[in-house]
Amino acid sequence: MNGSQAPVQDEPLLSVQDLKTYFYTASGVSKAVDGVSFTLNRGQVLGIVGESGSGKSVTSNSVIRLLARTGKIVGGDIRFNGIDVMKLNKHELVALRGSDIATIFQDPMTSLDPVFKVDDQMIEMICSHQKVSKQEARSMAVEALKKVGIPEPEKRMNSYPHELSGGMCQRVIIAMAVCCKPKFIIADEPTTALDVTVQAQVLDLLKDLQREMNTAILLITHNLGVVWEMCDRVMVMYAGKTVESADVKELYANPQHPYTWGLLDSIPHLSDETKGMLRTIPGVPPDLRLTGKCCNFYNRCPYCTEECKTKVPELVEISPGHFVACLRQNGVETLQRNEVAIDE
Amino acid sequence: MSDGKPILRIRNLSKNFTIKSSKLFGKPQLLHALNDVSLDLYAGETLGVIGESGCGKSTLGRTVIQLHSPSSGVVEYEGRNIFEMQGEELKNLRKDIQIVFQDPFSSLDPRMTCGKLIKEPLIVHHLEPDKAKREKIVLDLMHEVGLDIQHVNRYPHEFSGGQRQRINIARALSMSPKIIVCDEPVSALDVSIQAQVLNLFNRLQKERGLAYIFISHDLSVVKHVSDRIAIMYLGRVVELCDAEDIYANPCHPYTKALLSSIPPDSPFEKKERILLKGEIPSPIGDQIGCPLAGRCPHCTERCMKETPALSDIGNDHSVACFLYEEKQA
Repeated sequence: MNGSQAPVQDEPLLSVQDLKTYFYTASGVSKAVDGVSFTLNRGQVLGIVGESGSGKSVTSNSVIRLLARTGKIVGGDIRFNGIDVMKLNKHELVALRGSDIATIFQDPMTSLDPVFKVDDQMIEMICSHQKVSKQEARSMAVEALKKVGIPEPEKRMNSYPHELSGGMCQRVIIAMAVCCKPKFIIADEPTTALDVTVQAQVLDLLKDLQREMNTAILLITHNLGVVWEMCDRVMVMYAGKTVESADVKELYANPQHPYTWGLLDSIPHLSDETKGMLRTIPGVPPDLRLTGKCCNFYNRCPYCTEECKTKVPELVEISPGHFVACLRQNGVETLQRNEVAIDE
Repeated sequence: MSDGKPILRIRNLSKNFTIKSSKLFGKPQLLHALNDVSLDLYAGETLGVIGESGCGKSTLGRTVIQLHSPSSGVVEYEGRNIFEMQGEELKNLRKDIQIVFQDPFSSLDPRMTCGKLIKEPLIVHHLEPDKAKREKIVLDLMHEVGLDIQHVNRYPHEFSGGQRQRINIARALSMSPKIIVCDEPVSALDVSIQAQVLNLFNRLQKERGLAYIFISHDLSVVKHVSDRIAIMYLGRVVELCDAEDIYANPCHPYTKALLSSIPPDSPFEKKERILLKGEIPSPIGDQIGCPLAGRCPHCTERCMKETPALSDIGNDHSVACFLYEEKQA
C-alpha cells in the first residue's frame, strides 16, 4: 500500500465523490446511499449522524468496499491517500483494510471470534499486515493493550472474549485497530452497545489516540452528544443523502435544514424542565426503494411546498463550509426555525 | 408528591438468583440482583429508575409484576402484599399493573394481527363479552395511541419499531391499568421516534392519571418523563430525589460520575469528567460494604465494612452514602 508515498499535504486523506451504493433485493432496488460526497483531512474527525436506515453505515462500509453480496457501488469515486479504492483488486483491498484503514464496529461481543483467545486474534491480525515474528507481534499486542488501558495485559491476552466485559472487548478491538498505526479509523457506532460511564472512557481513549497519532476518524453515530464531544465536522444523513454538513459548532449554533432542526429538537436534554412535550418529527422515514425523485423529507417536513414534491434538492454551500440540501434554504429564500407548530 | 398514600409500596425487596458453579460438584453461588430496595410509588406520578446494565433495574420491574418471585421483602399494592394474593384478587392485580417491554420486535406474537393483539388481554380477562363492543374498544385504543385504525388487520412485521411500541402500549392500556412498568420502552427506537413515544407517555399520563415506573439507562430520557428518580447501582438504590434535583444537586459520588459521563448538550460545553476506577464489580457472592467502595474517590475504611442505608438529607432527597450521614450529625 506504500506505492504512492508522500502525497501533497493539502490533499485530503480521504475523498468520496458522489458515492452511490444500491442494494439489489428481490423486491426492488434499495438506494441505501444515493450520491454522498465528503472529504476528510489528516487528523480530522468527521461525524455522520442519522437515524437507522439513513445510509451512514453503508457509506462507511463502501469506503473500504465491505458490502453484502446484494450491495453494489454503482457510481462514485473513492480516493484514499492518493489511491483509487474503486480500482483495487481483492488482495490489495485486504491489505488496505486493517493496516491503513481500521474499523471499529458497533457490537464488541460479536466482532471478536468467540473460539479464539485474545492473543491469537491479535497476533494473527498483526502478522497478516506486518512482517514480524510471532514473538514480536505478541509484544506489540501487549503494548497496544496497555495503551488502551487494559489492566494486566499479559493476563488478558489469555482470555476468551466471553470472559471480558463489553467495555473491555471494545478496548481490545480498539487495541487491534491501532496496532498497525492506521492513518484512518472508521468507528461505526463504537459506543452504542456500552453503558454511559464506559462510553465516556472509550471516547476519551479514542480522542487521546487520535491526538497522539494524528489519525483521521470517521465516526458514525446516532447520538448527537457524542458528535458534540468528538467531531470537527458533522454530516447529517437522511434516506441515503446528505441533508446538511458543516463544522460542529456551526451546525449546533446555526442549523439550516428542517430535518436537522427536528433531530435537534427531539432530543431530551438534562437541562430541560421535566415533563414538557418534545417537538418531534411526525411520520416515519421513507422506503428507500422509492426515494430519489423528490426531496426525501417532504412528507415529514412542515415547510414543504409543491416544488419539494417534484424536485430533488442539491447540496448548496450557503456559507463557507456549510452545505444544505433544501429547496427552501438555498441562500435566496430562508426559513424561520419553529415557525410551524408540530404536534405529536 | 409526598401527599397522600402511595399506591405501591416496595419494602426491603431482595432478589437472588442461584448460579451453578463452574466446577462439577462445586457449591452453587448467589447472584444478588436486588438488594434491600425500598421505594414508594404515588398515584399519577412517574418514578424513573436509572442505572447501568446489571444494576437490577429490570429485575425490579419484573419482580413488581411478579415475573420473578422475590427472595425477601414485600410489595404492597393498595395496602395488600401482592406476593400473598391468590385467585380472583391476583387476577385483578394483574389488570392494574401492566408492563411495556424494551424490544418491540420480540414482544409481539408475529402471527397475530394488530387488532387481535390488542384484543387478546380483553378476552383473557373477560372484560368485554360482546364482540362488537370489543372491536370498538380496540379501535378506540388504536386511535388513542396514535395508530391508523385502517391498520387493524396488519401483522407486526408490517409496522415500524415505533408503531409496534404503540401496539404494546395499547395492549397495556386495554386493561385500564393504574400502574405501567415501562422497561426501557424507547431504547430500541430512533431519536425522532423516541420523542414521539415519550410525548405519548406524557399525554396518556395526563389523560388517564397513570403511574409509571420508568426504567431506562438514558438519564436525559428519564429526567424528561419523571417526577422522581431513583439511581440504582449493583442492586441497591443509591440516591432518590426529585427529577429537577438530580441535575441541580446530585449528591452520591456515583450519581455525580454518571452525570459527568453523559455526552455534552452542545459542542461549546466542556465537561469535567469524574472517572470511576475500573468496572462494575460482580454481583455474585457475598456483598460487604458500600457497593461503590472499590471505585469511589471518597472511599474510607468504613465504606469497605458497612453498607450505608438510604437516608433523607432533607428536601425529599435521600442518599445512601456515609459522606452525607456525617454532615447531618
